[in-house]
Amino acid sequence: MTTPPQLRKLANRLVVCEAASSKASGPVESAVPRVYEKLRMRLSALAGVAGFQSLAFRALAQARSESPGLRLVEIAADGTLKGLGGVESSVDIDNDSAGGGGVVLIEQLLDLLLIFLGEALTLNLISDLWPDAAPEDCISGKGKSA
Amino acid sequence: MSTQGKVTILKLPTGVPGLDEIVGGGLPEFSFNIIAGAPGSGKTTLAHQFVFANATPERPALYFTVLGESAIKMLRYQQQYTFFDPAKLPGSIRFINLSQVVLEKDLGAVLEEITKEVEKANPAVVVVDSFRTIARKPQSDMDLQSFIQRLALFLASWQATTFLIGEYAEEELRDNPIFTVADGLFWLRQTAERNSIVRKLQIIKLRGQASVPGLHTFRITDAGVQAFSRTFGLTERVKKQTGQRRLSFGIPELDVMLDGGVREGDSVLIAGSSGTGKSVLATQFIAEGISQGEPGIVAVFEERPQAYTERAISLGLDLETPQSEGKLTILYLRPLDLSVDETMQSILDAVQKIGAKRLVIDSLAGFEMALSPGFRADFRESLYRMIFALTGIGVTILSTVEVDESFTEFPFSTYSISFLCDDIVRLRYVSIDAQLRKIMVVIKMRGGNHAKDIREYEITPKGVVILGKRLTDFQGLISGIPVHSNRSGRVGGSLPPDPEVNDKS
Repeated sequence: MTTPPQLRKLANRLVVCEAASSKASGPVESAVPRVYEKLRMRLSALAGVAGFQSLAFRALAQARSESPGLRLVEIAADGTLKGLGGVESSVDIDNDSAGGGGVVLIEQLLDLLLIFLGEALTLNLISDLWPDAAPEDCISGKGKSA
Repeated sequence: MSTQGKVTILKLPTGVPGLDEIVGGGLPEFSFNIIAGAPGSGKTTLAHQFVFANATPERPALYFTVLGESAIKMLRYQQQYTFFDPAKLPGSIRFINLSQVVLEKDLGAVLEEITKEVEKANPAVVVVDSFRTIARKPQSDMDLQSFIQRLALFLASWQATTFLIGEYAEEELRDNPIFTVADGLFWLRQTAERNSIVRKLQIIKLRGQASVPGLHTFRITDAGVQAFSRTFGLTERVKKQTGQRRLSFGIPELDVMLDGGVREGDSVLIAGSSGTGKSVLATQFIAEGISQGEPGIVAVFEERPQAYTERAISLGLDLETPQSEGKLTILYLRPLDLSVDETMQSILDAVQKIGAKRLVIDSLAGFEMALSPGFRADFRESLYRMIFALTGIGVTILSTVEVDESFTEFPFSTYSISFLCDDIVRLRYVSIDAQLRKIMVVIKMRGGNHAKDIREYEITPKGVVILGKRLTDFQGLISGIPVHSNRSGRVGGSLPPDPEVNDKS
């Protein structure tokens, strides 16, 4: 299942935002796990650990078809990721770009949010977590729900 | 504090159309409430409406979900309702899932988790959905009663208005501690009656203020839950003094028979068999009102508004112009499974919108047919409430009812509702000179000195026209087979032509 191109752009933007905001505190390469972790914390509070884990499993399965390197990644019982460090990810803050399997996973997770929660709630959630991300520039107009 | 030193309990809007009236003006602030009912009865939707109506960024709502419907799916469905404002999430409305705590820990931990979140957010509204899944958990350190009491105390102390949602059976009402602790108990029911689903709401308990007792119909639409109070929202309204003003039918002879016309605020019943001109009379009544500057409502059940308007044109009456000018509304209330309360709400909305003074219900038989089978059993009682409520605010109601023509009796209605009506006009066929002709008589007029005359009438291109004088040459007219007084046998002589009437027709 392919996601709209805007979602890749949004996933990139979240990773870049995260890398920029925590530049001082850690390597930019860890931005993808931090984006995932923020989403995990928020969505686990909303849907429960099991609810988030189900979404994460689905997102990972979808992402693996595009990025085979994600075969090494596993999702633990609490929804945390294991093995993402071994997956190639790149972040270029200066050029506002990111790439690699981790970004594909984030993109798939966002796609599931759009499908289940719709555009408005997804945008609100992302804006709350990353106030500078301006996600509406990427996905506005995609519709209330997929 | 009020001037008498008594505490003033603020009433919060429920966000559910019609429910504020039922609960006595709004939900008491800081109350601890239960919404109970079977799956699919609208509990979660009702709670969402309350949450969306009251949550603010400063005093948000915390919506705790437990085992049961996934919060993500719940949001997916709930956002389809028009009251759902996505902008309120997550700032004003926050969803917190307690499944893990409930599954892995005891009630003490659940209370601790709720306490932690409430202290953090300082919410105005707290919902636990479904509380039943917590209550079903095997008890350990803290028994259920203690848990409920501590939860209720804590949430009230934090000035939160609370809803616990649960799937309860009515037999649990007696000995479930939660119902003792609760300040408010809202019970939602849905029952299948023949092929219809009937939803009803009951406020079993509400501390601090009087609610409207009894079962209230409710419906779930795109706008969420809508409740219909048994009092039709009229309890707060000042009863209008209707005085002695008389309303004309636009038929001078009939006005004379009615001692000058229908008294304002009366309920009039026009009874007759098929084709006797009940709808024609009703149309003339409403058209005359409009010509006198009295806006009107016609609630039709047996034909579409366009057909009603076209028939009026054939009588020389223009109902299209007043509709476009907002002086007349023709309500087509044909959908099946209506409740009287819903019908009433539609009529009341229309009455308020145009300031209607006259209302025609055409006909009671069609009205009954449009109702869900379950409501038909209560038709008389519902009709009583409806007529009482509407005439109380000064609306004059004219209802038509079809009666079976009989040559051995003279029924006024098949519904035994004549006691509901101030005035009754009976139309019927009579056999005279090998013709099926029509007669009219005022049977009853409460507080009025109506004519006792039996008059012949015709339906002409100008509507109902009353012919000649009273029929003094016949006996037994109301039997339908009169005897001419001046002849020996039945089916007597012809009625003499009346030049005056001919001029009118």
